[in-house]
This record gives sequence, C-alpha cells and structure tokens, in this order.
Amino acid sequence: MLVIVIYLKLFIKKENKILKDHLKQIYDAVTSYDIDLVKKLVTEALDAGENPIEIMNDGLSKAIIEIGDKFGKEEIFLVELMIAADACMAGVELVKKNILDNKVDAGKPKGVIVIGTVEGDIHNIGKDIVKTLLETSGFEVHDIGVDQPAENFVKKAMESGAKIIASSALLTTTSPHQKQIEEKLKEAGIRSNIKTIIGGAATSSEWAKEVGSDFYASTATEGVSIIKKYFEGVQNES
Amino acid sequence: MKASLKVLSKDDLDRIYQTALDILNNIGVNIEDDEIINLLKRNGCKIGDNRIVYIPERLIDKCLKSTPRGKVTLSGRDSLKDMISGPDQKYPFVLSHVLMNYYDELGGAYRTITKEDIQRFVTISDALDSINGIWMCTLMPEFGQLYSYYEYELAIRNTTKPVCISSFEPSAIPPVMELAEAIVGGKEELIKRPLTVAFCEISPLTWNKYGCDMLKATAKWGIQPVITVETPMGDTGPATFAGNIAQKIAELLSGLVIVQLLQEGLPLFFVVPWETFDMRTAQICLASRPDYVYGCAVGQIEEYLNIPFYSPVSPDSKLLDMQEAYELGFSLLPRMLSGNKGIVIHGLDQTHAINNELLLMMDEMIISGRRMIEGIEVNEETLAFDAIKEVSGKIENERRNGHFLNHKHTLKWYAKETVPRRDALIDKYRREKWLESGSKSFVQRAHEKTEEILSKHKVPELSSDIESKIKEIYKKYNIKALW
Repeated sequence: MLVIVIYLKLFIKKENKILKDHLKQIYDAVTSYDIDLVKKLVTEALDAGENPIEIMNDGLSKAIIEIGDKFGKEEIFLVELMIAADACMAGVELVKKNILDNKVDAGKPKGVIVIGTVEGDIHNIGKDIVKTLLETSGFEVHDIGVDQPAENFVKKAMESGAKIIASSALLTTTSPHQKQIEEKLKEAGIRSNIKTIIGGAATSSEWAKEVGSDFYASTATEGVSIIKKYFEGVQNES
Repeated sequence: MKASLKVLSKDDLDRIYQTALDILNNIGVNIEDDEIINLLKRNGCKIGDNRIVYIPERLIDKCLKSTPRGKVTLSGRDSLKDMISGPDQKYPFVLSHVLMNYYDELGGAYRTITKEDIQRFVTISDALDSINGIWMCTLMPEFGQLYSYYEYELAIRNTTKPVCISSFEPSAIPPVMELAEAIVGGKEELIKRPLTVAFCEISPLTWNKYGCDMLKATAKWGIQPVITVETPMGDTGPATFAGNIAQKIAELLSGLVIVQLLQEGLPLFFVVPWETFDMRTAQICLASRPDYVYGCAVGQIEEYLNIPFYSPVSPDSKLLDMQEAYELGFSLLPRMLSGNKGIVIHGLDQTHAINNELLLMMDEMIISGRRMIEGIEVNEETLAFDAIKEVSGKIENERRNGHFLNHKHTLKWYAKETVPRRDALIDKYRREKWLESGSKSFVQRAHEKTEEILSKHKVPELSSDIESKIKEIYKKYNIKALW
C-alpha cells in the first residue's frame, strides 16, 4: 500500500513537473518571439490533455505581461512587443478553440472593449497594437476597423455589452468625430454606463477634455495600461 | 557600400607629398640642439647657417622604412582595451582629452580643474563604450613640477583604458616610465604595449630646445612619441590647404627622421590639429570652416603615409549651446567618414575646458557617425521584396492594412539598420510626455546620466603590487602624495 502511495506521489510530482516544463517552454517561446514554436508547444500541451486555462494564464499571458512591462520600461522595442503579442495571440487562438470544442468553463473576460479608427481616417497601427495587447491579456475586444462613423462605435458597444469605447484619430480633420461618439452615446442614453478613451497623433489631453472623453492615452501602451487599470478598479469595487 | 569621403586625388596627394620632400631638402628645418644637428649631419644632411638642416629624400625614405607602419598600439591597464591603429580598424578610435579648466554649465561656473573634476571626467570616459582612451594635459598648478607623472597616475587610477600624456617635462619621464612598466607587467611588455607621450614641434619648421629634449628623452626611454605640429592657416602656415598640408607633412617627417636616427624602429604616430588664424578676432581657432574641410582629407593623408594622424576636435564655443553642437558635429563627422584613425575630443573654449555632459553628446554623435560609416547594405534580404509583398497582401474591407511593425524582417533588421538605443538621451517623445518628464534639456538629461554613471560605474582599484610600486616611486623621486 505504502509503495502505491509513494508511486502515486511521485507520478503526480512528475506530471506537475511536465506541466511546469510545458508552460515554461511556452513562456520562453513567446519571450523569444517564435510564433511557430508557440503554436507547436501549445498544440502539444493541449494534445497531452493539459488544462487550457493554465496554458493561457501561466504560459501565454504571463509571458506577454512581462514583455509589456519591459516595453513600458523601454527595455525592449515595439517590434519585439508586437511580435511577442502575435506569438501569444497564435497560442491564444488555439487555446480558445480547445475551450470551445471541449466546452471548458473559461470564466468571464477581464473586460469588454470596442475599438476603432474614426470616420475619414484609415490609420490602424496604434489601434491594432492596443487591440492585440488587450486580447493577449484576457480582454474581449471588438475591433470595428478603420473609417468608422460614430454610430457604429455606439451600436457595437450596445451589442457586445462593452464598458469602454476606444477611438483613434491621427488627423486633425478627423478628430472631431471623437466628439460625435460622445454625442451619440448621450443620444442613446448610455453615456453614464460607458467610459471613452481617445488616442492618436491628432489628440491630446486638452482635446480629451474638450471632447468630454474620460481618458486620454498618448501612446498605444499607455492606452492599454489605462484600460487595464480601469477594469481592475471596477473588479475591486464589485 | 561603406561611406568614404574623399577630397584629394592620388595625383593631388603625390604633389603635396613631393612638396613636403622639397621643403625638407631645400628650405630645411631649424634645430636648436647640437647633438641632434650632428646626428643628422652624420646621416647625410647638409647643415646651413642659423642651424638650418636640409634633409634629403633618401634619408626620409630610410627612416620611413625603419618606422613600424600600419599598426600602432596605445595601451593602458587592460590589454583587451588596447587601441591598435591600422588598416583593419573599423571605426576611428576616440580619446577624451582632459584640459586645464572645468566648465559647469548647470552650476554656471568656470574653474581651474580639480583632482575631483579629473576623477569624475575620466571615470565617465571609462564607462562609455564610444570612448576608447584618455589623453591628459591639464598643466594643473596644483601638480607643479612632475605634473606629467601626477596626471598619468591620476588617469590610470580612474580608467583601465589606454592613457596618453602630453609633456614638455623630460624629468617626469623616468617615474612615469616606472609606473607604466608596473602597469603593463615589466620592461618586455612595455616594448610591446608602450607608454605614449605627445609633444610639439614649433612651426614654421622649427624644433626648439624643449621639443628636442623630449625627442631625446622618448628615444632614450623607448617611449612611443606622438609628434604634434600646429600650422595655423595664415599664421605659421600657408593660408591654402595644399600648402599647409605639405608644410605639416614636412614638419612631421622631420620629427620622424630624428626619432628613427635616435632609436631605429621606435613606433610613433602623429597628432595633427587644423588651426586657422581668425583675421577678424586675431585668434587661433580650431573647429572652424577650414577644420571641416581638413576633416574630409585627414583619412586620405594618413592612409597615404600609412601612419595614423590623430586629429583633435576642439570647439571654440564657451557654452554647451548651438555653436558647440554645430562645431562638434561638423568637426567630428567628416573625420569619421574620411577614415581618420583617431580623434581626440577637446571639450570647449578653444581647448581650455572640459565638461562631463559633453561626453554624453559625443557619445551620441560617435554612435551616429559609426552607423554612417557602415553605409547601406544591398542584398536580396535587405531589399525586402518578400516582406513588402507579405505586408501589402493584408487587406481588410478592400484596403491594405498591413504594416511592418510586427514582421520578422523588422525584428531582424531594425536594430542593425537604425542602431536604436534603449537608454537614448536624445529626446524623441511627444511633447506631452516630455513636459511630464520635467521639460528637461539635453544637458539636464545628460547631467542625470553622468550622475548615474558615477554612482554605478566602479573602476577596478590598482593591485597592491602597483600601489607598493607607487610608494617606491614617490620615495625614489621625492614625489609628494596628492591623494
């Protein structure tokens, strides 16, 4: 009997070690910007029956949070952050599919956000950075794309139950549309339920005040940081 | 293809060199030392009136042959940091020069340099990768006699990089030599990794007594001499570039001949500033327009002679202002692009003052200059056709929406091509972020960085053996300890 217990303990320990090794390898693959390796390791881990939530939280998210922190401290460049985020996202897609296929309870997303570039403006890079970083951190992001009229932001927020609308404007000729988003939210009677954040080269903190936006982000990563902080605050309140 | 600035043809260089030979053979050099005159006479030189020595071409050829060419070593405590100047050099070496005053821009003070100023300046130079060595010439009144010894000891205590000194003080050579021997590990090592001492000829075409004494002292002790000539345009040198360069070469070669006759095979190199007599202010100026032109030619001249020409960059500005940045940039960049082997950075105020923050500005400029030297690499991978195709292939709502920010091609090439710095001092933030960070000027940011370097960078202390040797030197030469 004693022999069986010892064997079981050793077996469990070994299993835990394999799991930790897998997660560590996935973490390392993200932080070394290797998309193909991330896909391979996540597939192997899922095939081996490992918990998709653990892969997501302790492998993929852990890595991208650390990479994001490094970028925030200017220890790595944006290209490294972006490729790590893509590598992470490739793994997240595989995990999501596994969760759906196996009907695993993944819990609620950390927050729901609608994001897009305003009407007349086709710049997408900053918007895409915010989107990718939020998605890889466990947020549900609805990207409505570029050149989007104000009503589309509001419509998508109502459909998805989003708590934040993030709009980007890189041209001084298009930034007035950020004001229209505020007006459309008021018209729909949901302004008090939704926070707005603006960013892009044509914007500033003064402009945010003028528009009536709740938050202003001077860079994509600052935007991500503000959104994360907001949802953390909401969670703590509830 | 690598960057290469050229302003002289092969024919131009041949004509300038031939003029230098004609100057030595027909105009001659005034020499204030009988021993050296006799030495030159025994080796085939004609001696005219007024101690004028005419040096024939065959003697110059012979002495050039006995001079070690194509490889000159400057050494310090760490042999891995030795500067080896020669054709294989990728970038110019850069030495920061310690001068007689310290300019404190933020404190608004201009003062005679102190030991503490030197320690801090040399320590920061030691920490910066773009600075390869230190040049000492402070003439500090506090040091008094044997100032060359004090300067050398103070420098080697605060850097493991090569240290050169300027001296007109033959009596200081023996203690400096003994300390240099202890630093490199003995007499034999010191032949391979010699002590380097600079001194000056007097233009036009004169070796005065002090210069002759230094020539003899360096030959006697086996020190690597650095011959310096100064021929300000329109003052003690012609106002034309070609003639001025020819006179400079003649003066340098006269020193080379004397060194080789005093001790055959002694390695040497040249320090050649470009000065202009400013006819408006009656000042001898360094980093002015003619200096920028010389900067375009200096690499070609040293390549022609196959002897390194270390060239000073010496702004005339009194402040860390736009003039300072202009003079530094215009003086430094042509030198780097023309293939100059060594650059000596004087601080500001016509070689009279140094400043710590300026080292950080130089650091930025040198890194940019090095990148410019590398030029543009063109091959299948850098042409990036596949990457452009892939990025352009990303389409959303009938619009191309791809970018290179998350492309592997960018990851591989971005840092190599653009040489970004994670700890850059040059401001590239948006105005709001800059305001949030305290609206600091470059000098303020550089000052913070210098304080950070000084708090973190620790130069290894001298070994107990070397400390014991220093005590012996003090006793033997009756040197009073200053620290």
